[in-house]
Amino acid sequence: MKISLKWLNEYIDVSNFLSSPHELANRLTHAGLEVEEIQSRRKDYENVLVGEILQKERHPDADRLTVCQVTTGVGIVHQIVCGAKNHNVGDRVALALPGAVLPGNFTIKNSRIRGVDSGGMLCSEKELGLADESEGIIILDRKMALGQPLAEAMGLDDVTFELKVTPNRSDCLSHYGLAREISCLLGVALRTSFRPAKTSNLSTREKMGLDVREVRHCPRYAGAFVSGVKIGESPEWLRSRLNSIGMKSINNVVDVTNFVMMELGQPLHAFDAAFLKDSKIIVELSKNQEKFVTLDGTELTLTGEELVIRDGAKPVALAGVIGSLNSGVREETVDLFIESAYFLPSTVRRTSRKFGIETDSAYRFARGVDPEGVLRALDRACELICEVAGGEIFKDPYDVYPSPFVQEKIVISLSFVEERLGYKIEEELFTTWMKRMGCKVHQDVGSQLFEVVPPPYRVDLALAEDLVEEFGRLNGYENIPEVLPESKGEPQRDQLTFLLEGEVSRLAREMGYAQAINYSFVSATMHEPILQSKESLKRAGLGWEASHPIALRNPLNEDLTEMRLSLLPGLIHNVVHNFRHGNLCGRLFEVGLVVDKPEDQGDYRHFRRLALIAWGNEVGLWSSQGEVPLVFDVKTALGDILKSMGGARLQWNKEGVAPSFLHPGQWSHLKYENRNIGILGKLHPEFSERLKIKTECVVAEINLDLLFVGMPRAVKAAPIGKFPGVERDIAFVVPNTISAGMVQEAIQKAGGKLLRRVDIFDTFKSDDLGNDRRSLAYRLFYQDFEKTMTEDQISALQKEVIDRVCQKFSIAVR
Amino acid sequence: MDENRFEEIRVHAIGAIERTTSSSGLYEVKVSILGKHGKVSELMREMGKLSKEDRPLFGKRVNELKEELEAAFSAKEEQLKRQEWEERVQSEELDLTLPGPKAFRGRLHPVTLVIQEIVSIFQRLGFSVRTGPLIESDDYNFKALNFPEDHPARDMQDTFFIDEHHVLRTHTSPIQIRTMESEKPPLRILAPGMVFRCDSDMSHLPQFHQIEGLWIDEKVSMANLKGTISFFARTFFDQSVKVRFRPSFFPFTEPSAEVDCSCPRCGGQGCRMCGHSGWIEIAGCGLVHPNVLSYCGIDPKKWQGYAFGLGIERMAIIKYNIEDIRLFMENDLRFLEQFRV
Repeated sequence: MKISLKWLNEYIDVSNFLSSPHELANRLTHAGLEVEEIQSRRKDYENVLVGEILQKERHPDADRLTVCQVTTGVGIVHQIVCGAKNHNVGDRVALALPGAVLPGNFTIKNSRIRGVDSGGMLCSEKELGLADESEGIIILDRKMALGQPLAEAMGLDDVTFELKVTPNRSDCLSHYGLAREISCLLGVALRTSFRPAKTSNLSTREKMGLDVREVRHCPRYAGAFVSGVKIGESPEWLRSRLNSIGMKSINNVVDVTNFVMMELGQPLHAFDAAFLKDSKIIVELSKNQEKFVTLDGTELTLTGEELVIRDGAKPVALAGVIGSLNSGVREETVDLFIESAYFLPSTVRRTSRKFGIETDSAYRFARGVDPEGVLRALDRACELICEVAGGEIFKDPYDVYPSPFVQEKIVISLSFVEERLGYKIEEELFTTWMKRMGCKVHQDVGSQLFEVVPPPYRVDLALAEDLVEEFGRLNGYENIPEVLPESKGEPQRDQLTFLLEGEVSRLAREMGYAQAINYSFVSATMHEPILQSKESLKRAGLGWEASHPIALRNPLNEDLTEMRLSLLPGLIHNVVHNFRHGNLCGRLFEVGLVVDKPEDQGDYRHFRRLALIAWGNEVGLWSSQGEVPLVFDVKTALGDILKSMGGARLQWNKEGVAPSFLHPGQWSHLKYENRNIGILGKLHPEFSERLKIKTECVVAEINLDLLFVGMPRAVKAAPIGKFPGVERDIAFVVPNTISAGMVQEAIQKAGGKLLRRVDIFDTFKSDDLGNDRRSLAYRLFYQDFEKTMTEDQISALQKEVIDRVCQKFSIAVR
Repeated sequence: MDENRFEEIRVHAIGAIERTTSSSGLYEVKVSILGKHGKVSELMREMGKLSKEDRPLFGKRVNELKEELEAAFSAKEEQLKRQEWEERVQSEELDLTLPGPKAFRGRLHPVTLVIQEIVSIFQRLGFSVRTGPLIESDDYNFKALNFPEDHPARDMQDTFFIDEHHVLRTHTSPIQIRTMESEKPPLRILAPGMVFRCDSDMSHLPQFHQIEGLWIDEKVSMANLKGTISFFARTFFDQSVKVRFRPSFFPFTEPSAEVDCSCPRCGGQGCRMCGHSGWIEIAGCGLVHPNVLSYCGIDPKKWQGYAFGLGIERMAIIKYNIEDIRLFMENDLRFLEQFRV
């Protein structure tokens, strides 16, 4: 909230801080009331002084300009060229001297205007930021002292603080409340000048009926009748107070209610009594489907849960939140009913949030006003209304307060405070701060315990811990020493998934992939290709149950609306960005969570995923070599990551149709230990063209939850064999329907454990072989760890491999 | 003995050796002179025709010639090989001012790097990592953390709602609750993770990362908290960094504090990053509120604790001088590749 130092000065002497507001701001910030911004109007008018025109002559070279001699004190004369017409010799004027920076960042300098020197500027109201439009320069009151800074002379030297008040400190949401806090912090007495208002002989209670039917939601309701007011413009002092904290002046009565709210923190409401049917106020819950039109004209449908103020016929206010259109103060208003109440904070907050109506009043009620301050504010408002709008205050104001607020005492020992703050505390220091804060402190003779009763406006203080904080904060957090703690407990292991995710990330990095982190939510457009491929992704071990992704109820914008079901939309989006910004090739990976919710049962399920994306070729611009398709690059990277995690038995095979976003001829499922855990493939060229990715782009995604089962796996070093091994090559002529991987698998199976390695080293097609067949050549490496293998043994094994593979696929050796 | 024949062979051979220009040519010459059917072997075979008296001398002369020619061949061979290597390497000359192929630099995201570093620092104090879900129930995200329903403290965090009872977690603090519910004190845990706030501008992302620390033991004080965070700030930023606490409010801690450290960039002198104040806010913290302990079934009379929370992106901004928060989400390689480790 905005705080005016000059206003504050009404209740506590802070005049010294007007020239050094940072000192006060610092003190407040270090007491937990953060001053986020200091605005000093004094600074706006630096080097602008009150001057007097001694002489005025026509500019020798311009009809419209005058050359003035302006003094700012005995013997000091400035020559100023001025373009205005309304000034005369002897006038007091606002003189901006070189160095002044006027609103709009307009810097004043020495200048020469059509050959005549000008040492400053005579300012208009507009140039000083005091009016939107103005004619001529400002002519000041003759009583203003020559040479006085303009800010001081015009009372523009106020300083305002933007104060961040945490939700627990509702007592500081007003000038008087903050003055009370400053009084405690600085040990300076408050100036209290509130006196009871004069009332007439007529009785509020006779004039108006009041029925509070919801005491739980409205623990205290007070009100007074004010008769014969004249609605009009507020006096200058009132308007300027409200202006100083950025509030608009509306009319004298409304201004008073706003002023008192900002003065004492108690929101008030002024009803035009003429509108109150049957001269009656009822405080109760709304009726379901009841209509209510707010004073700004919005029609609401109430639900029966809101607390309303109603007259004999209709609701006239949403309690504590906003008044109705047809009960507020108008120009013709003569009689008023002024309400001052304590509404239950949660009731007000619920209504305010339900309808999205945020008012200064609701803000304060929701945080809790001072239940004991209700009458004082009512009194103050009535008095001020009579002062600025005339009228008379009826006696016997209402005050329905069936169970007065009792501030519970808090029992606390010094050692409790010491133990929590971590330093020794003198008893007197503790009691001094408690008392300065407004608490009553009692200690039985011989007892270690204090009984502390906080003041009623400190609704946030209920536990001994709360007092620990109060003492700590008032005494200064800088007095807390730095001591490393000790623990008797034994350090535990990190959560396994955290370790494994870290391991996967490091492995992906080793493969040359850079880590991306994307939003957990995506746009419907980005999601669409994934959602279309639900069946295929399910077969890949990347499935989900829900028919729709989880939607945010209140998305920020239409790009971030639903929870992702795959990491790919984000990564593809990243490639589009990178490509557009000239990164023509690259490798990215992401490790993250996706979220799903099965329709029938309640729980949200999180799945861990790893995804890779590669685009562009790594070959340099000046050379051309390495024609291995990009999809194999990603396959190698992914395979290597999984093997390094300790995974065994990876198989690449495709079942069913390709996801619609992948190239139907360049994709594969990844099977890990007989279970599909992921997918690999090149983006469908049509899809990447649509995204303007003008290069190959390959993606892969795997289900980390499946991969992590049984991990981490301990490393068990296997022997590597001392005896020499032998290489043998074979080539088969294979129909296109049989994949290289199937043949390799069959070779491995036939070769048994002495066949240590099988590598494919050649594939080719030729006219001789025909269109539907190709040659696949493999290099086999045999090794016995126990002994040197004999030629016979190797030949027998090789023959076994050839026979079994040929038989299995009905193929021949080339 | 025919002196001339020796001399003839010698001259012929030396001449042939000298004229040869390649290793393969030299080999042919060598075969024709010293080979089985070469001129020297022929000479050797003639020895049989000589008298017994002449043989030793003749043999000696042949051997001398053979040795001489072998030496000449070796020398020539050496010379030719050197020459041939030279020619080969010359022909293989490359212009090394040309660039090499593109290297793909694997990198971890700065957010991950900061998390890893923070974890490793707190591991030295015996902390271990816990994680939790992104979608949290209202109970875990708010209620258990002493945010009563319809309490204005809930307005402190702009919340993304999923359904009536679930939100995208607004902080990593629910992980505290989950841990306290499932494990017994004493506890020392760190909880890193993604969090969400319905807020986006030049200095706020709707999704960012926090790391939460929780220490539960029999005696834990604000002094312990200050000691811990001070140790952390000095290790993470710089040994000279100072830490100060400012009173603040969080529903789940009492007392609560916000933590500033002296600006590591300017050493507290004041710069753009610290808003010319010399201090920079790095964390929120406090002693665990007794209501939170009770909610988790931990007796607040027996156990105390502290908790703190750090913004990961904020740490990265300070540490790596990152000027635009959007860089965290764009995943532009020109940005990511700078984070060499």
